[in-house]
Amino acid sequence: MINAHLILKKVVFYVLILITWQLIYLSNLLPELVLPSPSQVGESMIIMITNGSLAYALGTSFMRLAIGLVISVTIGFTLGYYMTKHRILYDTFGSLVLGLQSIPSIAWVPLSIIWFGINDMSIIFVIIASTIFSVIITTYTGIRNVPTLYIKAATNMGAKGFVLMYEVIIPAALPYLISGLRQAWSFAWRGLISAEMLITILGLGFLLITARNVYDMPQVISVMIIIMTIGLVVDGFIFSRIENKVATRYGIR
Amino acid sequence: MAKLELRNVSKFFNHHNNSIKTLNNINLQIEDGEFVCLVGPSGCGKSTLLNIVAGLEKPDEGEVILDGKTVNGTNPDRLVVFQEGALFPWLNVIDNVEFGLKIAGIDKEKRRERALHYLRLMQLDKFADSYIYQLSIGMRQRVAIARALVMDPEVLLMDEPFAALDAQTRDLLVVELQLLWQKTRKTIIFVTHSIAESVCLGDRVIIFTHRPASIKKEFKIDYRRPRLMEDPEINKYASNILDALKSEVIAAMKEENK
Ligand SMILES: Nc1ncnc2c1ncn2[C@@H]1O[C@H](COP(=O)(O)OP(=O)(O)OP(=O)(O)O)[C@@H](O)[C@H]1O
Ligand SMILES: [Mg+2]
Repeated sequence: MINAHLILKKVVFYVLILITWQLIYLSNLLPELVLPSPSQVGESMIIMITNGSLAYALGTSFMRLAIGLVISVTIGFTLGYYMTKHRILYDTFGSLVLGLQSIPSIAWVPLSIIWFGINDMSIIFVIIASTIFSVIITTYTGIRNVPTLYIKAATNMGAKGFVLMYEVIIPAALPYLISGLRQAWSFAWRGLISAEMLITILGLGFLLITARNVYDMPQVISVMIIIMTIGLVVDGFIFSRIENKVATRYGIR
Repeated sequence: MAKLELRNVSKFFNHHNNSIKTLNNINLQIEDGEFVCLVGPSGCGKSTLLNIVAGLEKPDEGEVILDGKTVNGTNPDRLVVFQEGALFPWLNVIDNVEFGLKIAGIDKEKRRERALHYLRLMQLDKFADSYIYQLSIGMRQRVAIARALVMDPEVLLMDEPFAALDAQTRDLLVVELQLLWQKTRKTIIFVTHSIAESVCLGDRVIIFTHRPASIKKEFKIDYRRPRLMEDPEINKYASNILDALKSEVIAAMKEENK
């Protein structure tokens, strides 16, 4: 639903921020290195867009993200599923997963560098490590919470084994699986940027850290704005829309 | 030979490490095309009995015999219409109705055609593309009935399908179900705790005792169809049954107090 009033409020708010920012800049209270002007940041953004460095960095970052997430979701889902099947797996492996899940993504970077070196693989590994455990756990909870009534009804109509899994259990667990995916995305996004900053071979995080290395503050801020915008769009538009739609359809809301 | 027979069926459930008897030696014979209503107090074991007939639960003693063969496990020839509908929210109405046919491997065109036929019968064809959350509770139960009928089961097991409905919708569906039954001549076991509903629907009304459920009394209802809930004749049948039950209860209490 597009609400003109709401959009207007937001536009006014951001314009006010820009004006304040510009005023602080003009007042010369802070050195230019600490706070560049909005137009300098805009200029730096336009340069990154026109010379192709932004597109290249985004392409590289999203490629790593996609590979990491696909691997993490595939393996995580499978493990979560088997944990619902075998109590022993949950009792043993499950507790380890809960522990590992609490490690912040950046803490995986040193290990990853030692294991894989300075390359794409080590960045992808950080993404996998920072997401897979939450995928396992949401898959497990999602499947465990599928109403037995659905399973009874489907079994009664002749569904079993893989068909039951594919036609009933996965769709019934969908609300959980989607919020798991949403969480995985946000962990992956944070993990990706941290890893790229520390492992420094191409990508958005690399763009950020190289700007810092030459004290290019306008570029530091514009890359941060891009990171924020992407996070906002994926989470606030894509995921929250899907979640709302599913919640309505499933009668959760 | 009876279409469906329950022979010495008993069922126990574990409750805090105690084995509690829920069904006590149920013997029941149901003829082909018969409409049988089971009535009993809440928690006595009616749903459990239906689940056993459906093969979703195993009896601890005794057996269920369909067309002369002991049933083993669940099969679409005995389909349950659940108390809560149990429709799938991720599918639209027609895909819900097609679900069993899809599992059975029937091709898309054929199952669409059959599903639409039953939706029309339930006057729901206009809602084929709706999702479940967009339907009223009464419409949901009609979809659930269509979803079962489309599989052409030998026995239809209905577990208080009208319990969640308002009185008007319920009365309407009671008539609709009778017309449907006259058209299809399915064997139906219908669970309810409303005596009036059971009299209105059943050729036979079977009353269960408190847990452990056993058959307390049986009434044959010989009355023209379709019967209406507001028919005074139906009310008379119902109050006769109530009276019989009351005197039974009083007799039992006297017995206990001796
Ligand atoms: N899986 C189970 N494990 C343990 N106890 C159970 C189980 N299923 C049912 N019971 C018990 O068996 C008894 C009968 O349950 P059932 O659902 O068959 O009753 P009902 O007659 O259908 O009641 P209602 O009219 O409220 O639907 C209840 O006391 C219930 O607690
Ligand atoms: Mg019940």
